[in-house]
Amino acid sequence: MSSNKKESTSEPRVGVYICHCGGNISDHVDVEQVAENIRKIPGVVVSHTNTFMCSDPGQELIQEDIKSGKINRVVVASCAPSLHELTFRNAIKRADMNPYLYDHANIREQDSWVHHGDPATAKATTLVAAAVAKTKRLEPLDPIRVDARNHVIVIGGGMAGLRAALDLSSRGIAVSLIEKSPFLGGQAANLDKLVPTEASAGDLIKQLAQAAVEDPNIQISTCSQIVGFEGYVGNFKVTVQTHPPDADTRRQIIRGITSDKSQVGKMIPFVGYFPSAVPTSEQTRIIDTGVIVFATGFKTYTPRQGEFGFGDFPEVITLPMFIRHMAQAAANDKHLSFNGKKIRRVAMIHCVGSRQIPGIHEADENDYMNEYCSRTCCSATLRAAMEIRENFPKTQVLDFYRDIRTYGRGQEDYYDRASESNVLFFRYEPEDSPLVEKNSSGDFPLKISVKDTLTFGEEIEADVDLIILSVGMEPNPITGLVDMMKLPVGSDRFLQEVHPKLRPVELANTGILLAGTCQAPMDISETCNAAQAAAVKASALLGKGYVELDPFVAGVDLAACSGTGACVDVCPVDAVKLKPVKINGEEVERAEVNPAICTGCGVCVAECPHNAIDVKGWTLKQYEDMVDAIVAA
Amino acid sequence: MSRELHFDTLVVGGGIAGLQTALDLADQNYQVAVIEKDATIGGKMIRLSKVFPTLDCASCITTPKMAASAHHENITLFTYCNLKSLDRDSPESVTATVTQKPRYVDPDKCIGCRQCEYGCPVYVPDEEQGNFNLRKAVHIPFSNAIPQIAVLDMENCSLCGKCARVCPTDAIDYFEQPEDFIIHAKTAVLATGFELTPIDQKPEYNGGKVQNLITSMEMERLLAPHGPYMRVIRPSDGKEPDSIAYVQCAGSRDKTLNVPYCSRVCCMYAIKQAMLLSGALPLADITIYYMDIRAFGKGYEQFYQNAKAMGIEFVKGKIAKIEQADNQYVSLRYEAQEDGGRVVEREHDLVVLSLGMVPGWTPQGVCQVSCDTDRFIKSSMPQIAPTVTDMEGVFVAGVAAGPKDIVDTIAEAGAAAMEASKYMTALGKQKAA
Amino acid sequence: MSDKKKQADKEAMKILRQQRKQSIDRVRGAIKSQNKDIKSIKDALKDGGKTVPEITAATKMPSSRVMVFVATLKKYGMVAEGPKDGDYFKYELIDA
Repeated sequence: MSSNKKESTSEPRVGVYICHCGGNISDHVDVEQVAENIRKIPGVVVSHTNTFMCSDPGQELIQEDIKSGKINRVVVASCAPSLHELTFRNAIKRADMNPYLYDHANIREQDSWVHHGDPATAKATTLVAAAVAKTKRLEPLDPIRVDARNHVIVIGGGMAGLRAALDLSSRGIAVSLIEKSPFLGGQAANLDKLVPTEASAGDLIKQLAQAAVEDPNIQISTCSQIVGFEGYVGNFKVTVQTHPPDADTRRQIIRGITSDKSQVGKMIPFVGYFPSAVPTSEQTRIIDTGVIVFATGFKTYTPRQGEFGFGDFPEVITLPMFIRHMAQAAANDKHLSFNGKKIRRVAMIHCVGSRQIPGIHEADENDYMNEYCSRTCCSATLRAAMEIRENFPKTQVLDFYRDIRTYGRGQEDYYDRASESNVLFFRYEPEDSPLVEKNSSGDFPLKISVKDTLTFGEEIEADVDLIILSVGMEPNPITGLVDMMKLPVGSDRFLQEVHPKLRPVELANTGILLAGTCQAPMDISETCNAAQAAAVKASALLGKGYVELDPFVAGVDLAACSGTGACVDVCPVDAVKLKPVKINGEEVERAEVNPAICTGCGVCVAECPHNAIDVKGWTLKQYEDMVDAIVAA
Repeated sequence: MSRELHFDTLVVGGGIAGLQTALDLADQNYQVAVIEKDATIGGKMIRLSKVFPTLDCASCITTPKMAASAHHENITLFTYCNLKSLDRDSPESVTATVTQKPRYVDPDKCIGCRQCEYGCPVYVPDEEQGNFNLRKAVHIPFSNAIPQIAVLDMENCSLCGKCARVCPTDAIDYFEQPEDFIIHAKTAVLATGFELTPIDQKPEYNGGKVQNLITSMEMERLLAPHGPYMRVIRPSDGKEPDSIAYVQCAGSRDKTLNVPYCSRVCCMYAIKQAMLLSGALPLADITIYYMDIRAFGKGYEQFYQNAKAMGIEFVKGKIAKIEQADNQYVSLRYEAQEDGGRVVEREHDLVVLSLGMVPGWTPQGVCQVSCDTDRFIKSSMPQIAPTVTDMEGVFVAGVAAGPKDIVDTIAEAGAAAMEASKYMTALGKQKAA
Repeated sequence: MSDKKKQADKEAMKILRQQRKQSIDRVRGAIKSQNKDIKSIKDALKDGGKTVPEITAATKMPSSRVMVFVATLKKYGMVAEGPKDGDYFKYELIDA
């Protein structure tokens, strides 16, 4: 059927555009030589190089050749198509040519970054030749347009989730906010005063949570989890299960709440904002949505048993534990007290569960290591140190750090003030981390020793009453969701964006966005920025009322199909069905593809005994020609 | 009468923050005007070599966003323009007076052929290349500038008339005058970026006036694909350096320069440059003198550890004195923390000052938005809505609101676009009601 | 373009040159010294490629100024980078 199309009767005239990538490619590949080699291939009418094909002058080069009628097929040889395929498709579209009459050869990631010299040039020639061969067989395609639901599911009711939900609602998009606990506010509820404004985290949570509760456009489901997922951007179907918290969770989470109902609408310190009474019965429902925003947040690192004495000595606690203690401590004494004991000297240790180095630090039981910096702990630690010094002037503070990372606006000031208020700083190398031991003599329970690089490697030993560990962030365990939705996860176990600068809040799964600390450690400001950036992407995506999907989906050749149903059996996403049709007056069954669901995986193509099904833009014939070109090269 | 134009949002600044804001608004079908003081959009980012932590070339990431903005049907770019005033007249409207500086080249006629540039007899230090080489008095700023339109530098023009004679489209106009025009919009976003900390007042560094003592931005140019030398050599005499050093916190965390804050990017760009240098000059020794390494972003700490593993030397110590040594070497004096605290003097072929960031623009006398004590634009809700300022419907994005790297800038640009679109949605609702 | 208009333009140019006389004189001075420096660098390269210190010795110009001009001549296609000699690259004249 497609063989009669007008475009394929006009002889393909291929334009080939090879990018230097400012040396990234041309330092290793002789791009002029590649252009020369390719020029000899029949059907290639132009073969150009440019320092940056993706730049405006580069794109114009292609557009001029299209507009002048010189070419009707385009091959760009540059970086990975994931970076700039869309850039070039748009450029071609602006020149009034079908953007799918174009193929992309990756000669950077697959060539110049891994090969050098003549072999790199030879491989580039081969890759481009294969792309040219494929391009000659390309046919014009149109993107698949599907209606999009003006609705977003936000997973997680912490700061990121609340911020995103409110923003989306303000733009007229209905939101379902799904939170697994009975509370809103997430980990921010475990903070007290915030750097650098000294604003109360509880107040900020209350401000956002209350607005969300009062917003008729936001439907909040606490005690809820996502248990099922299907569909595609614009039309996801998400199964949400709500269940009453079990007695244990109730006891554990709802600290201090005597009656659910009386606490509704209140911010409970160090617990969260309580938006509604907990459900009393289990309920499952399906929500149709256009976009999903992940705001699943983080959890704090739990030190291993014995790590800096944690678990061995009751006087070793984490920073979140200490912050909660301080919030409740009365400031009417010259000494801080803890567990009824006077604290004369406290040691704070940075980078616990962050910046771990293979070979120096131990991996956890799952063989994981937190090699990243958790970004927020330095300022939080210094803030706590300052608070001790200001409220309890007789309590000494020793601070053990690797690098002080008070990078943010107003944060350096805390570092200065901590030094001025006589917090004593000791700097350690990771291989000489502080050692915490029980004090056998004297009246201090613990002693801490370290090789201090600030005093040029002097061995320092100090008696202390309390040790506070500045624990880092880890992504919340969401392996269930990750497996269900097949989400990309980085080696740091945080969700992995497509590209940190080009598409920073998008996952490779179209229509699933990222907000906040599920992506990387961030403070509240950065989290809110990220959430708003995700919201703006969702708003742009849903604003048109429809979404356009790539047309690389399976298509059935009805003349060849005999209705074996082999394709139906193997399709992993149920995109193919057998439909009754009349052929020559006879009622038969033939395969039919739902292009919105089809992911273009090609399993059906491999299975069909009659070659009656093919993926558009990636046909068997195109592959054959590519292989021929590679073999011939 | 001045020309009057109407848009939904005025974005001030065409760097990565402004462009991302404009794109995020335009994709939601708002009409956006971007005004940019330079002759090209792209801001500081397009002038960089590669960017951390992915080591993508800066052009690979910036040029597509520049091109997307230039071609977006909802975005209009105004380059080589200064913002004269920005006032809110009512909740529905801000009015900006914008001065179009004379390019002395008609943008509608210029086809970017560079004939004028080749013909021009005047050589002028090229500020786009750290003044390491010369450009012509009439020129296109750089090869991937947008728009590709020449600009004539009247201060350095002898009015010889050569460019006008060779121009095939008769685009040169020596008589052009600055021209004001008015932009009316509902909202504005300030994305005015940064400049490097000036260090001419720093006697310990000899005011920066030491041969082969260069700024980090100048090193970006030496490393960039279209750099002044197309390789890294000493500016004083073309020697390929054997030893290169970085002075961290040069112009940050320094109260004597009135820059007490951390500039957030210098540790990472120094590490990045060190990595690129060790690729370009495998035999060179590269040393980074630092106080604290602040590699806090996603993947940054791992980047830092990789640099250490590559053999880049990290020395803890604040540089106390920078002086010229013999043979155009640069001498650094510091207290070596890991060496018993003795005062050490070391000489390097080439020394880079890792300069910090100061605001690129001040609202003083232009618009009524407040700045913080750090002189960057103040956020009214720094935690839950960092891009909201104290001027109604005027938002801030990127380094204009304090130092930040490209990743954080792009996120904040999205946030500013969200705030601006929310503001306009609310206006629409009020109107409908 | 009519002769009348051409004449008017010429007049206007005259006035503009008058107004900008000071800066024009300064620029003309700069062109002169720059052309002299370029010529002496080119002369120094006539008998073969040289490094920047060698050009400096031959021209008696400050080496940083030599470097700037060599970089510029290279950019505009009048000089090419040649082989390395110790730590320095030699620069060669391109036949014009």
